Amino acid sequence: MTNENEFTGADILLKALKDQEVDTIFGYPGGAVLPIYDAIFGQNFLKHVLVRQEAGAVHAAEGYARSSGKVGVLLVTSGPGVTNVVTGLTDALMDSIPIVCISGQVPSHLIGTDAFQECDTTGITRPCTKHNYLVKDVSKLSETIHEAFKIASSGRPGPVLIDIPKDVQFAKSKYISKKDISFREHRIKAGSKTVDKNFVKELVNHIKKSERPIFYVGGGCLNSGHQASQELIKLVNKTNIPITTTLHGLGCFPGEDKSSLGMLGMHGNYEANLAMNKCDLMINVGARFDDRVTGRLDAFSPDSIKFHIDIDQSSINKNVKVNFHTNTDITLTLKEINSFIDSNNIDFDDKDYDNWWGQINEWRKKECLHYEQGDEVIKPQHAISRLYELTKQKDTFVTTEVGQHQMWAAQYYKFSKPNRWITSGGLGTMGFGMPAAVGAQMANPDSLVIDIAGEASFLMNIQEIATAVQYKLPIKIFILNNEYMGMVRQWQELLHGSRYSESYVDALPDFKKLAESFNAVGVRAKNIAELDDTINEMVSIDRPVIADIWVDKKENCFPMIPSGAAHHEMLLSKYDKENPENQEKGKVLV
Amino acid sequence: MSSTSVYPTPINAFKQSKRSVLSVIVDNEPGILARIVGLFSGRGYNIEALNVTVVDVKENLSRITIETLGEEKVISQIIAQLEKLVPVHSATNLANLSESYEAEICLVKIEFKNEEQDQKILNFADIYRSRTVQKRQNIVVYEISGTSERINKFLDDLDTIGGIKVELVRSGPIGLGI
Repeated sequence: MTNENEFTGADILLKALKDQEVDTIFGYPGGAVLPIYDAIFGQNFLKHVLVRQEAGAVHAAEGYARSSGKVGVLLVTSGPGVTNVVTGLTDALMDSIPIVCISGQVPSHLIGTDAFQECDTTGITRPCTKHNYLVKDVSKLSETIHEAFKIASSGRPGPVLIDIPKDVQFAKSKYISKKDISFREHRIKAGSKTVDKNFVKELVNHIKKSERPIFYVGGGCLNSGHQASQELIKLVNKTNIPITTTLHGLGCFPGEDKSSLGMLGMHGNYEANLAMNKCDLMINVGARFDDRVTGRLDAFSPDSIKFHIDIDQSSINKNVKVNFHTNTDITLTLKEINSFIDSNNIDFDDKDYDNWWGQINEWRKKECLHYEQGDEVIKPQHAISRLYELTKQKDTFVTTEVGQHQMWAAQYYKFSKPNRWITSGGLGTMGFGMPAAVGAQMANPDSLVIDIAGEASFLMNIQEIATAVQYKLPIKIFILNNEYMGMVRQWQELLHGSRYSESYVDALPDFKKLAESFNAVGVRAKNIAELDDTINEMVSIDRPVIADIWVDKKENCFPMIPSGAAHHEMLLSKYDKENPENQEKGKVLV
Repeated sequence: MSSTSVYPTPINAFKQSKRSVLSVIVDNEPGILARIVGLFSGRGYNIEALNVTVVDVKENLSRITIETLGEEKVISQIIAQLEKLVPVHSATNLANLSESYEAEICLVKIEFKNEEQDQKILNFADIYRSRTVQKRQNIVVYEISGTSERINKFLDDLDTIGGIKVELVRSGPIGLGI
C-alpha cells in the first residue's frame, strides 16, 4: 500500500534541493542517475544545465558559487561520471568553494562486485572533499542532503559529495524538511561566533605602536561575505594602512584605491612584496601563507609582528608562525575592531605613516608593471589593459584559465567588488575558466562574463562552448594566443636553459572557424591596430564569442619571485638576473 | 644549515621528532578510519601505532588512539587537521594534558627447549607480573600490559633468558587524561 507521505529517493532529493533554494544544477545523465533525471523531467523549479563533460559541470558549479555566494550544485553518474569530477572537487577544496556534488552509484546489492560503471566513489573522493557520504538507507537521505549543504557552506567552505545507489533513488521514505533537522554542532565546524576581545585590543594597540603596518588579505575575506569587504574598507580608510591582496583576495578591496598595493606573491607587485618584507606589523585577514605568496620562508617578513584572522584553525601556524590569531569569522572580527576604535574614540591622525608611505611610493616609482607596447605585435599585458579600460563601466565578471594570461589578468584587470574574479589558484587547473564562465553567467544572466584564456588551457574544456550556445549564454572567451604553454615556456627559459621541451602547441585550430562550427561567433585581432575594435565587437555581440588575440609569443610574466627566492629578490624584467644559487634550489620546487 | 625550501624535507621533519599519543573521539560511521588514515598518509605524517574501538554504543562513539612521531609544530598541525574532519568530536595530545595514564597490552608466544628453561622464563615473567595465558607442549603465550616502555623492556630482557620468540602482537598504546 502506498503512503502519500512517502516519496522516492529521487523525489526526496528534488524536495531537499528546493528546500535549499537551489534553482540551477549542472549535470550529465547516465545509467545510475536515471531515476533522478526522471524526477527532474517532471518539475519546473530547477533549471538543469547539460554540460558536455562532467569536468565542465564541476567547474561551472564553482563559477556559479564564486560569482553568487551561493552553493553550487552538480549531478553526475557513477564510475566515469564521478572520476571526471575529481579534479574539480580538488580545485574547490583548495580554493574553499562551496559545492555539493550528487553522484549516482550502482544498486546497493551490486556494490563491491566490479559492476558496470562501478567505482569506489567515496574512497576516491575522500581526500578531495570536505566531507562525503554513501547513502545506503533512503530514510537517511533528507538529513544527509541538508547536512551536506550546511557543511559545504559553513566555516571554511568546500566541496561535499553525496553518493546515492540507484535502488535508494527508487526506495521510498518520508521527507524531512530543512527546518526540522537539528544539526550536530561538532559536525558543522562553523567556527567561533564570539569575537576574541583580547585579540581586538591587542591588534588596535599594535596598530597604534607600529611604524610600518600592512594588511595582507586573502580569499577568506571573500568567503565571509560582502559585509567583510565593507568593514575592511572602513578599517583601511580609518587607519590609512596599506593593503595587499592575494590572487583570491582581489576585489575584496577596490584595486584602484590609493591604499591598495595590488596583488602580492610570485607575480605580485614590487611595492606589495617589498612592503611585506619590510613591514613591522602584518595583519593577515583570511589568507593562508601559501608558498606562491611567501616565497622563501626563512626570509619571509622577518621583522614583523603577525596577526592572523582565519576561520580555519589548521591555517594558523601551518607555514608561518604568528604572534596573535583568532578563529572567528572575519566579518564579526572586523566589525568589532571598527566599533572598538569608534567607541574608544581612537584616532590615527597622528599616525599618517608618512615615512612608510614615502618608502612605498619610492618602490612604486619602479613601475613594476611597465611594459613597452610597439606599433605592431600586441603585448599580452596591453591586451588585458585595453580589455579592462573598455569593459570597466560594465558589471563584469572575469574567469581565467591557468598560466601567464591568468597572472596578467590579475595584474592588469582591476576589481572593485568581491566575487567578480573567479580563478583557479590553489590547484591551478587549466581548463577551469571556460566552464566557470558558464556557471557565472547562469548566476548573473545580465552581466558581462569574460573568460581570459590561453589557447592551451581553452583547449582542455573547449567542449563547453556547446553548453554556452545551447543555453544562450553570451560569455566571451578572450584568448591571449601565443601558441605556447606560456608559463611552462617561461620556466624553461629561466630555469632550464631555454630548452622548450613540448611547450609549443603545434597544429592549433582556427579559433574563428571553430567558434562558427559551434554556432558561436569568432573574432580575431592580429595586430595592435585591430585590438580595440575587436574587443568592442566582442562585447557588443549578445552571443558566445571566441576572441582570438594574437600576442607576442616570447613575452614573459614579470615581476617574478623565482621559486626558492625571497620577497626582496624579485626579478622585474628580463634584464634582471636571478641569483644562481637560488636558481638551483628553485629548480626542484614548483 | 636551516632549510631554505618551502617544503619541509624529511631530515628536518624528524630532527626534533618526538613521540606523541593522540586520543580522538569520533562518530562511529563508515569510512571514519579511512579518513583518519588517509589524512596521515596524504599529508606525510607517521602512524607508529593505531587502536580503534567503540566506546559508547548509545552515542555511537569510537575512540581512536594514534601514536605518532613529529616536531611539536607538526603535531599541532595534525590535531588541527583531525579536528577539521566532520565526524571528529575532539582530538587531544595526551602529552598536553596535565596528567594522563597510558597502557598497552602485548601477547608473546615463546617456544622453549626444555623444562628447566621453561621454569626460568616463568620466573622471569613473574618479575614483570605478566601472566601465562596459554601453554601447549613447548609453547607458552604470555600476556603483559603496561606502558610501551615497560613492554619494550620486558621483550628486551626476554631475549636474554633464552627460548625463541615465535610471534608477538601489541595493541598499541591507549590512554586517558586524569
